[in-house]
Amino acid sequence: MRSKALAIASAIPLTFAATAALAEYPERPITMVIPFGAGGATDISARTIAKPLGDAVGEALVMSNVTGAGGATGSVAVQNAKADGYKMLFARVGSHTVSPAMKATLPYGLDDFRFVTVYEINPVVCAVRPDSGIETIDDLIAKVEEGGVSYSSSGVGTLLHIAAVMVLDEFGVEDPLNKVTHIPQKGGGAAATAVLNGTTTFVCTNSSALSSFVANDQLKPILVTTAEPVAGFDAPSAADLGKPELEQLVGWTGIAGPADLPDDIAVKWGEWMAEATADPGFVESMESFGSIVELMSPEEASAFIEGQYNTFRALADELGMRIEG
Amino acid sequence: MNAFDSLMAGLSLVGNIQAVLALTIGVAVGVIGGAIPGMSATMAVALTLPFTFAMPTIPALLLLLGVYKGGIFGGSIPAILIKTPGTPASSATILDGYPMAERGEAGRALGMALWASCTADLISNLALILFAGWLASFAMNFGPPEFFTLILFSLTIIAGVSGESLLRGALAALLGLLLATVGLDLVYGTNRFTFGDPNMMGGLNFIAVLIGLFAIPEVLAMVLNPTGHLGKTRSIGKNWVTFADYRRSFKSIVRGSFIGVALGSIPGIGAAPSAFLSYSEARRTSRNKEAFGKGEVEGVAAAEAGNNGVAGATLIPLLALGVPGDVITAIIIGAFMVHGLQPGPTMFVMNIDIIYGLFIGLILSSALLFMIGSVAIRGFKYVADIPRRLLIPGVLILCIYGVFAVNNNLFDVGVMFVMGWVGFLMMRYHVPAAPFLIAFILGPLLEDNFRQAMLMSGGDPQILVRGPITWFFWVLTAVTLVAVARAGFRGVQDKVRVKTSS
Repeated sequence: MRSKALAIASAIPLTFAATAALAEYPERPITMVIPFGAGGATDISARTIAKPLGDAVGEALVMSNVTGAGGATGSVAVQNAKADGYKMLFARVGSHTVSPAMKATLPYGLDDFRFVTVYEINPVVCAVRPDSGIETIDDLIAKVEEGGVSYSSSGVGTLLHIAAVMVLDEFGVEDPLNKVTHIPQKGGGAAATAVLNGTTTFVCTNSSALSSFVANDQLKPILVTTAEPVAGFDAPSAADLGKPELEQLVGWTGIAGPADLPDDIAVKWGEWMAEATADPGFVESMESFGSIVELMSPEEASAFIEGQYNTFRALADELGMRIEG
Repeated sequence: MNAFDSLMAGLSLVGNIQAVLALTIGVAVGVIGGAIPGMSATMAVALTLPFTFAMPTIPALLLLLGVYKGGIFGGSIPAILIKTPGTPASSATILDGYPMAERGEAGRALGMALWASCTADLISNLALILFAGWLASFAMNFGPPEFFTLILFSLTIIAGVSGESLLRGALAALLGLLLATVGLDLVYGTNRFTFGDPNMMGGLNFIAVLIGLFAIPEVLAMVLNPTGHLGKTRSIGKNWVTFADYRRSFKSIVRGSFIGVALGSIPGIGAAPSAFLSYSEARRTSRNKEAFGKGEVEGVAAAEAGNNGVAGATLIPLLALGVPGDVITAIIIGAFMVHGLQPGPTMFVMNIDIIYGLFIGLILSSALLFMIGSVAIRGFKYVADIPRRLLIPGVLILCIYGVFAVNNNLFDVGVMFVMGWVGFLMMRYHVPAAPFLIAFILGPLLEDNFRQAMLMSGGDPQILVRGPITWFFWVLTAVTLVAVARAGFRGVQDKVRVKTSS
């Protein structure tokens, strides 16, 4: 009761403040929600851009990890935030295209957010153990038909989960859900380790998660999903294999606000991001992680995310991967 | 390049003021970060990472490793002084550390925590240097079936920390297992006991549960009985740990260190189970079992040896295979990559000087931890002198702030208070909190690995006995269960005898 009264009382000055704030956004620090834990791919990416982005914005950026449920907890925090641009979200492939495509129970959808940018692309690589006898993607498909093949992921509704299924589907495996066993792990590191210690046959994940294993000949890459080859990964690209549809299958990091974020704020973010991603130190850091810095404007970002979502959604519907319960 | 040359090359990398300074700052930041409840060693390392991007390779890595080492020790300071573990790994330290502080022996407990931490740290670092390759290949034999049997065995710790009544301990453990099921199902991705609330989808936050269970009941007890503590002394008391204490606990410290090394080299377990396992082993083999849980200095030593023993060993899979064993080492791998290094077997060929530099730095870090830890204890121990009527409100504020800071989520603060009442009722009815916590940590690991094993085998339980490692843990579990049952049986007989003779 008291909190309600408080909310009403504080709402009155806030409505005045909001109109004033729009004119000179930003006039106070901006909270940036990272929906994944410290040390994860999203967290490192977010903290790397924090410095150049903060310089471009001219106000402090408060990085706050709100973790849980594959990024859902943090995403909901921004979904329900005021659309004044003072609470923004680091959106990621898992939480913003794969999960919405696969989980009917998710408390948000793509329509609940306005994407202002995508600034990082991660190629996806499929890898096996060098002693597995699998040399090419065709070997893997042949083995799938024999049976007994499994793959690891970082959990249900993650990029790794749908990536393996999508690759098998593209290469003509019928009913991939029943022919291969999905063994989910807790986190991307554990998913790669599972292939390493023989728990699973293969994994399809961000190139950055595999680069040191590949450099050390502990894992063998058999496919990269980009059109161009990826440095350090001696494997054919999706274009080489004549599967351009797989080029949709990449990881990305972007920034989003609540759905009704005003246009002028979105435009400002576009400008700031252009400035931040031009920073040579930032580009160098990101490339050392194996990421490709690729800046998208608010419109391009929305179209890209929508396109990837539709691809994944169609696949999930076709194979019956939607989780309803 | 032979080993001596490599050593010299490594020494030249570390033997400069910049590297030593980075390490010193790292340890100091870690101790302070670890000592702030809710900050935790993980958060301290994550916050330090961006600062290392612009630094030269060796100081950057040493800075992070220093924060890591310092943080694991720093967590024991609030665990002992205010019953609030600064980092999850130090929750076992509460069991005997806080009763000691209550008795006016905070200085002794803190001193023992430091000595045990440094000893374990040194042993762990030596294990890394001498046996990295061997331990790493051993750890790679751990698939889900091996994990399952290891965790099953670890659950027998519950018998060791149940206190007077095994039945009450088992009850607490069941409650812990039950609460651990909240969240998303690993294999199907469906919601379990979330009641439609997105906040529940991630499961109950571990630190919120931890602080709620241990610290908040003290606050509630104070609120309900504000004058209950009057007349009890609570000061620093005997100032420092004696060498006799250290010698008496030495066996437990060494055992704890080896448990830490073994569990640390296996990716995915973490420091908290190691601390509990070390603690329960120390109690099991001790001559005065009864004193454990009531303020036994050896209990503090065992718990701290168990968690610091992990800190060097988690670098074994990191350096030898490039596999991060826990969240902290995952962050450190990021730092390696920023500096163009690929941890793994080739790093031992390509960058052997850096490897040796890190080894020397790690050994140095044990000594620095001892010095900086001593200073920190001298500063922090006066917390024990603060009158309780001032201390407890301060603790409450610190808890709320700390739990909020973990995840910037008010829901977690609510979880903490609910768990506080649960913990308070448990305290009232003499249900021990430690088994609850152990079950809460190990429950999800047990379930996930069991289900992964079943997926691997297509539902055939034979996979759970697939190799020597699984057999080893099955036998160990059986032996422990028999020992627990016999001890329980003897206890009943003693009671009967007492009754008939009186």
